[in-house]
Amino acid sequence: MKKKRFDPEKTIYAVVAIACFFVLWWFLTTFTPVKNTTPDPIAVLKLLFESFYTPIGSKVITGHLLVSLRRVLVGFGVATVLGIILGIAMGTSKWASAIFKPIFELLRPIPPIAWISLVILFFGIGETSKYILCGIGAFTNVTLNAYTGAQNVDPELVGCARMLGTSERDIFFRVVLPSCTPQIFAGMQVALSTSWMAVLAAEMVGAQEGCGWMIQRGSDTLNITLVMVGMIVIGLVGMLLATLMRAIERRLCSWNIMEG
Amino acid sequence: MNEYAIQKRKERIKFTIVSVISLCVFFGVWYVCTAVLHLKPDYVLPSPVQVVEAFIQKLTQTNPDGATLFGHIAASLQVALTGYLLGAIVGVPLGIAMAWFRRIDLFVTPLFDLIRPVPTIAWIPLMILWFGIGLGAKAAIIFVSAFVPCVINAYAGIKQTKPVHLWVAQTFGASRREMLFTVAIPTALPLIFTGLRISLGTAWMTLCAAEMLASNKGLGYMIQLNRSLARADLIVVAMLTIGLIGTIFTVGLNALEKKFVKGGRRG
Repeated sequence: MKKKRFDPEKTIYAVVAIACFFVLWWFLTTFTPVKNTTPDPIAVLKLLFESFYTPIGSKVITGHLLVSLRRVLVGFGVATVLGIILGIAMGTSKWASAIFKPIFELLRPIPPIAWISLVILFFGIGETSKYILCGIGAFTNVTLNAYTGAQNVDPELVGCARMLGTSERDIFFRVVLPSCTPQIFAGMQVALSTSWMAVLAAEMVGAQEGCGWMIQRGSDTLNITLVMVGMIVIGLVGMLLATLMRAIERRLCSWNIMEG
Repeated sequence: MNEYAIQKRKERIKFTIVSVISLCVFFGVWYVCTAVLHLKPDYVLPSPVQVVEAFIQKLTQTNPDGATLFGHIAASLQVALTGYLLGAIVGVPLGIAMAWFRRIDLFVTPLFDLIRPVPTIAWIPLMILWFGIGLGAKAAIIFVSAFVPCVINAYAGIKQTKPVHLWVAQTFGASRREMLFTVAIPTALPLIFTGLRISLGTAWMTLCAAEMLASNKGLGYMIQLNRSLARADLIVVAMLTIGLIGTIFTVGLNALEKKFVKGGRRG
């Protein structure tokens, strides 16, 4: 990645653009009929700050965030491990691929959100069903990427290692695994944002706490300010998660940073 | 045919058979768990036979969710395609403009980065408020979900144009416009198609969420309603239909891509 140098023109444009956005928002919500439905930015910011000490439902905003984050991280963590194992197995062994690929291909195109109803019937609306939904969201992406990654390992490298007398185990851990790590990370990036989206959907459909519940509650009680606060917080956390992932990726695959 | 090819072919046949057996085992286990052992009650996990029966029934009957399967599919497709096409029509040119014109880039990119991290699902309540619970809101939600990947990929596609190619065009006296249409856009096409494919996937996923929260027809609604009726067989039918249509879309887009994109596929 290129180091970005400070560019005054860029900063000025960015500030002007964002200022325009807020002014337009403020203008629309103060002087036009839009104000009947949409709160102005000041009200939203005020509620955002208030929500740190005034509980919404049973928790303050950070509490809801932590609940959602826990659901995402548990589901995502378990699904990632399983996905990497399955994906690499399918990519390296023809047997595994022949056995699991048809089933995987059958279930893969079903979006995680479509699972909500079945999962709720199966596991109730408790925590388990949320973990599972986040997991489904992450699992397909990670598996698919681990699979393509393991399949596209340069055969020359593997052949080279084998010719030099490397054991099969070392070939796996020193050649195959490192060479599909960037691809796996690309999958994990997507997986994390899909999980984040899945948890919102799951919480909007049935939950008593969490960010998705907050939005849904705002919508049910016609408290649009709350909806917008929820959106802002969710966006910020989503961005934070993505940045974090990218930082970890930079650490782990420093030899192969993909552009982005 | 030499020996190697024969061996290759034998191997392929062998693994195809393994795949078929694996699928059979999958359905077999499902069948045994549900129809024979009754591990879970029918309203939680239906047997494959029940799902097929429900599917056949659903082709003609409107009970219990108010429309036949085709009715739901048509409703979903209408919403999804409206939103998706609008998203693509607005998103791709915007991405191209952002990458090509420096001023637009400087002005729009911060705004775009402001909106982008909010997951589409979080927009649902707001869109319902602004557009009601009809076609408008759902199309708007899908618009947002399709719009974002289209912009990102079109932007990245144009940005990866090699300056050398542009210099060559310039040396031969191409105008700015010719450079955009004959050099930059063809270079970006593979990535633009990637964007279209990604956004189709997210659009189709968002559709389910939108229909679950506010709708009276469509595949997502079918999933949601049948949960409260405890008709898991119909839920599975709807899920498989969603998956199938998603696959058909992907295959169609891949065919389009092959037709329009020149040269090898990159990225």
